[in-house]
Amino acid sequence: MRATWLVFRRELGQYFTSPLAYLIAAGFLLLTGVTFNNDLAFSIGYRPVEPALIPNQLATVMILFAPLLTMRLLAEEQREGTLELLLTSPITDTAIVLGKFLSAWTYYSILLALTLIYQIILVQIAFPDLGHTAGAYIGIWLYGGAALAVGILFSALTENQILSAFLATTTLLLLYFGDGLGQIVASAELAQIIFNLTLRGHFIPSFAIGLVRGEDIVYFAGIITLCLFIAIQIVNSRRWR
Amino acid sequence: MIEVKNLVKRYGGFIAVNHISFDAHPGEIVGLLGPNGAGKTTTMRILTGYMPPTSGEVKVAGFDVLNDSMAARQRVGYLPERVPLYPDMSVEAYVLYWARLRRTPNARQRTQQVLEQFNLLDRRKKLVRSLSKGLRQRLGLAQAIVHDPPVLILDEPTIGIDPKQVVEVREVIRNLKTQRTILFSSHILSEVEQLCDRVVILDKGRVVGAGTREILSQQLQAEVKFYVAVNADVDHVHQLLLELPGVINVSSEGPGFVITAADETIRQHIMSAITINQLDLLELRPIDTRLEDIFMQRVES
Repeated sequence: MRATWLVFRRELGQYFTSPLAYLIAAGFLLLTGVTFNNDLAFSIGYRPVEPALIPNQLATVMILFAPLLTMRLLAEEQREGTLELLLTSPITDTAIVLGKFLSAWTYYSILLALTLIYQIILVQIAFPDLGHTAGAYIGIWLYGGAALAVGILFSALTENQILSAFLATTTLLLLYFGDGLGQIVASAELAQIIFNLTLRGHFIPSFAIGLVRGEDIVYFAGIITLCLFIAIQIVNSRRWR
Repeated sequence: MIEVKNLVKRYGGFIAVNHISFDAHPGEIVGLLGPNGAGKTTTMRILTGYMPPTSGEVKVAGFDVLNDSMAARQRVGYLPERVPLYPDMSVEAYVLYWARLRRTPNARQRTQQVLEQFNLLDRRKKLVRSLSKGLRQRLGLAQAIVHDPPVLILDEPTIGIDPKQVVEVREVIRNLKTQRTILFSSHILSEVEQLCDRVVILDKGRVVGAGTREILSQQLQAEVKFYVAVNADVDHVHQLLLELPGVINVSSEGPGFVITAADETIRQHIMSAITINQLDLLELRPIDTRLEDIFMQRVES
């Protein structure tokens, strides 16, 4: 735990000193801000603001942003040679991966929290369905965690950051739009199973409409656990090469 | 204290380390010599807990590297061949991070101490990326000793830095010796000669020579060498030297000759020859059997 905390602290600090991280944050906030603004403009006189507006947007945005946030986490260590020092220090491989993952998730949570400003604005001028929004935010928080976990997995796999980001993005795209496969499959049951394996399948029918279901929480937690577990094994495997 | 018994490391079909055994004791600097691919880095990585041995017993500071990996790692300071860096951290933050990760008591204080020891204190806020190669080497050494480990393992610590800083690094290593066990690998035979109390020579995964220089010299064929430089006709002198009793070989080197002979009496013979022929002697000195000779003899190219 102690080692996890130390790694977490250093990595989180890196997020606040790295120019790339600030760029990503700026992009993140710009996109969400523009979206909110547009929706607000439309909503005057037409319809209420979509409560899950930001989370819905982030569901697709994170497919690109999550790998960008995580690509350096393990790839850089391998490339700079510091992974060798980490692996010869009296800390577990789990602590290394977990600490890095938590730092990425925390950074994401901070960015997410910043978008809550829009909800505060809304509350001043309308009667937004905060329950719906809350559900959606919980969902996109877990969703983000899952996307970041996938990102870390690919960062562990290669020392090339670009490759890592590319592979992670592709995987996330597959995981998100995979239900498209379901459209061309003959059996309706199979299509449903495929849908339930995708990120969309556990976000659109539930969190997006403000519904918090146990099965979705389990799904995202499962993805996080699985990806981190595999990442830890990959890090460990470096000892055998 | 380092104890290696019958260490074997296999990568699939390839045997990188083939039943090597050696020891290193506190207060000693042991040099690990060998050509590229001999198994030096692999051995060091096993000692530091990076990778497990395929078989054999490896103990560091009394702890088995496989069964008590954490305890063993705690007691080792490691400087890999490529100095590992976090470019965006400050010098101080870098050392402090490793100090904390390795459970150093009074980490902050210890960091200050180590930075002072390596003359990095006035640069402690500088980013690691802005340091010169020599400074990075010192930083790497700082991280290796910040947690005060009883065993230090250094992989080619003086490669790639300028001569002045090489001297500094060697001085630092020498001073670190007290009560610590230091194992370092090098290609530079002169450096190993200067710094090491004992030497282990590896080739193709096996130990082909071990011991102090004296012991290794004795194991080489008993030979004596002298360097002679005389102010006279080169061919004449060459001929003269070849005719001396007990001479094994005479080869020219620079302005003089290296005479290899069976024993010490060759010196008197040289002096006699010079006096009798009234030659102008410029230089006469003995040549120690150098590590290079031992190395070249033991290691097949």
